[in-house]
Amino acid sequence: MTCLTRRLILGAGAAAPFAFMRSPVAQIQRGQELTVGVWGGAQERILREFVATPLEQQHGVKINFVLGGTPERRARAYAERGRPSFDIVYLNIFESRQAVRDGVTQAPTDRVPNAANLYPAAKLGGYGVAFNPVTIVYDRRKVDAPMTSWKDFWRADLRGKVIWPTYPGAQGTSALLMAAKIWGGSENDIEPAFRQIAALKPFAAIQGSQDQLFTMFDQQVGAASVEFGSFTRAYAEARNPNIVIADPTEGQALATNVACITVGTQKQALAEAWVNLHLSPECQRAYAERIYYSPTIRNLDLPADLRAKLIMGEEAVGRLVDFDWDVVIRNQPRWSSRFTREIAG
Amino acid sequence: MNSRAAAPLLATPYLLWMLAAFAAPLGVVALLSVQESPEIFAPLSFIPSGVQYTDLATDPFSRRTILRTLALGASVTLASAILGYPIALWLTRLPPRWRPLGFACVLVPLLTNVVVRSLGIILLLAPGGLVSNLLAFLGLPRVNLLFGWFAVGLALTQVFLPYMVLALYDVLEAQEKRLAEAAAGLGAGPAVTFFRVTLPLSLQGLRAGLVLVFLLASTAYVSATLVGGRQVMVSGMVVLKEGLEILNYPAASALAMVMLGASVLGTLLIGRAILLATPWTVGRAPRRLPALPPALRRGLVVALEAIGPLVSRLLLGIALLLLLFPLVLVAVSSFNDSPQATVAQWLGFTWRWYAAVLGNERYLGDAWVSLQLALAATGVSLLIALPAALALARGTFPGREALAAFFMLPLALPGIAIGLGMLRLLQWFTLLPAFLGILAVHVVLVAPFMLAMLRASVAGLDRGLEEAASGLGAPPLRVFQRVVLPQLAPGIAVACLIGFLISFGEVTVTAFLTTARLQTLPVRIYAEAAFSLENTVNAISTVFILVTVLLLLAMHRLVPLDRVWRR
Repeated sequence: MTCLTRRLILGAGAAAPFAFMRSPVAQIQRGQELTVGVWGGAQERILREFVATPLEQQHGVKINFVLGGTPERRARAYAERGRPSFDIVYLNIFESRQAVRDGVTQAPTDRVPNAANLYPAAKLGGYGVAFNPVTIVYDRRKVDAPMTSWKDFWRADLRGKVIWPTYPGAQGTSALLMAAKIWGGSENDIEPAFRQIAALKPFAAIQGSQDQLFTMFDQQVGAASVEFGSFTRAYAEARNPNIVIADPTEGQALATNVACITVGTQKQALAEAWVNLHLSPECQRAYAERIYYSPTIRNLDLPADLRAKLIMGEEAVGRLVDFDWDVVIRNQPRWSSRFTREIAG
Repeated sequence: MNSRAAAPLLATPYLLWMLAAFAAPLGVVALLSVQESPEIFAPLSFIPSGVQYTDLATDPFSRRTILRTLALGASVTLASAILGYPIALWLTRLPPRWRPLGFACVLVPLLTNVVVRSLGIILLLAPGGLVSNLLAFLGLPRVNLLFGWFAVGLALTQVFLPYMVLALYDVLEAQEKRLAEAAAGLGAGPAVTFFRVTLPLSLQGLRAGLVLVFLLASTAYVSATLVGGRQVMVSGMVVLKEGLEILNYPAASALAMVMLGASVLGTLLIGRAILLATPWTVGRAPRRLPALPPALRRGLVVALEAIGPLVSRLLLGIALLLLLFPLVLVAVSSFNDSPQATVAQWLGFTWRWYAAVLGNERYLGDAWVSLQLALAATGVSLLIALPAALALARGTFPGREALAAFFMLPLALPGIAIGLGMLRLLQWFTLLPAFLGILAVHVVLVAPFMLAMLRASVAGLDRGLEEAASGLGAPPLRVFQRVVLPQLAPGIAVACLIGFLISFGEVTVTAFLTTARLQTLPVRIYAEAAFSLENTVNAISTVFILVTVLLLLAMHRLVPLDRVWRR
């Protein structure tokens, strides 16, 4: 009690003049450096154009990109918990929610003005910057009828032609959870999924990345797989018009790219300004036009032909299938071990 | 150089570097492997627990994975040796001015991106691919060799074959040509000459090649992931999965340590076998094997001589095809007007990938960083590996083979595990200047390769020349400068070439250590590939292959790749 009182008095006295500020580093200062861990390629180019350059010009700050794959970035952020060298890391849907739970990155707040426009599904585990749902993709020449349901993987004409995605990983996680859902299970009852997926064996192949899947489609190794619709659309339009991106009746599986501000960053205000620009209509439009990532904000209108290729509007976003990611994360080691033993290998 | 007592001293710089830059991450991995809790934020316990190892030993899946990985490593090693000899002999027989181009052919797989190389394997083995079409043309049934152990083995053989060839090249090049002539004069045909003269005299180089390829093949996982279609599980993949996806560091570390142990055992076995086959290097009398009956022996010799030349030509053809196939693919793709790199169909001609690379200062900046890093890493590695090679090849001190095995440890520990170990040391690592920190790690990764190769070159030196120089009154340093170094020049050149390429292309460990202050070109390419592999990667490979050819031509003028005085 004494201790509490003393701390209260001291704290109140010391904090009083600064009550209008959250912390001494809560304002952007000229010369600050922001370190962002993100993927390379088109995403780096869009971010430099719509986020980094405006920030540098407006505030006289410097933005450092650390390019890499998600696994290394995540491992680094975990190793540096509380004293991060990154101010922002980009993660996927379940990694981001796990990172918040593990105290590695911050939960979203209203201090980012544009976050007010986010769909609720994109405001968990950080700031969702793109919907990138996972769905069924197939080669129309290799199936007897269009695929309209996740159950179609178990059709007789697809026997031995399925290219299953590896687990864990965004695609493999979605595929496993959707299989559980349609076969009477759920994330809390995964048994039906493993049983039914094992019944699909032999697989034409197991794919570990989109590039690998596209090569398999090029070589006509198999008929159908589970993949991000966005990339597959770019692939289908560029070089393989036989590939169809299905919109199954049970819905597409929700997946997001998430901007996560690290716990312990010394540049809170600058990091929030970064996220705010990433959620601006201009940046979101560039993502949609260049790589078919669906916007996570509600205040963006796009031409009808582009809208048709994306997930847009309350109703469409509401149809995306979400899961209890806490359960999924908790079970990941067990499921991964089962997948390696029962499905792959 | 002649003082035997000084031999262990020569290995000291290398030993110190290992202790400073490698013992720490290795110690971390070892400590992680004896943790009981797989929880990532659990405080490190210094009371060792064997639970991770018990789990490994009692899990049939893990046991199977380890054994299969070792079997894969052994098969790839054997295949590389069988394909490596014809290529290495072909290189030594090329006219000197064509040798740089010959070297460039051998190095193609090391200069191309792994994803693109894997596409080459897929195009070869797919149901509608080259091999299948060839079989159909010959009236045989079509086969699907893709996504299995064969495909993985072939992919690994392709990328590790260059190490075998270069390890063999210098010892074969240094061989006295008159010995083969003498054998021929005594009635031996080419096959018998190869088995009775060339092969035994090249065993030091073969040892280097076997060790390098075995260690690389039993820790590799990227090719297995790409062409194994995830139906092939190797232990490197499991380390990656447990460590980076599940974040179970203790399980990943324990598996890495088991693989380390198995690899060291493999290295020692290879060393032992070569020692048994080369008794003269330690002054022992050769073991006499029971002789075949004369009739059988004559029959065998006739058969060998009949099929030998044919088989060696066939193997040379297969090996060259395997090495050069990615070149065709990469060069053609780099002009292909397709946004994705892994495209097997032609969509139109364009220069834009070259424009994107050469006009982008970020690529050029990263390439400059990589170049400086690779040059520095190669230079430092040479300075510590050459004395160590002299110590290991000439010293007869106790524990020599154990020391040699310890020096090879960085190759035996999967790269991912080194990365995980470094993560724990990150806060100390980042205190170092960025360049120096990554340089220290690159030297650890590069020096073992250079040591293995230089050791074989030193073992092949003609001691008589040094003794003659000493006898004529030259002090040791002068003997080293005027007699030893010129003889070693081709071996040093080849070792530096390999060291440079490994450092320039390293991504597995560097990806963990990249900071805002320092980024290398391969890490940039990897980061782009993680999103979508663009065709710029093929333009980079093509530019890089051309630059390598030019560098080889230039190097050949400065440090000839053959022994000039023999021409």
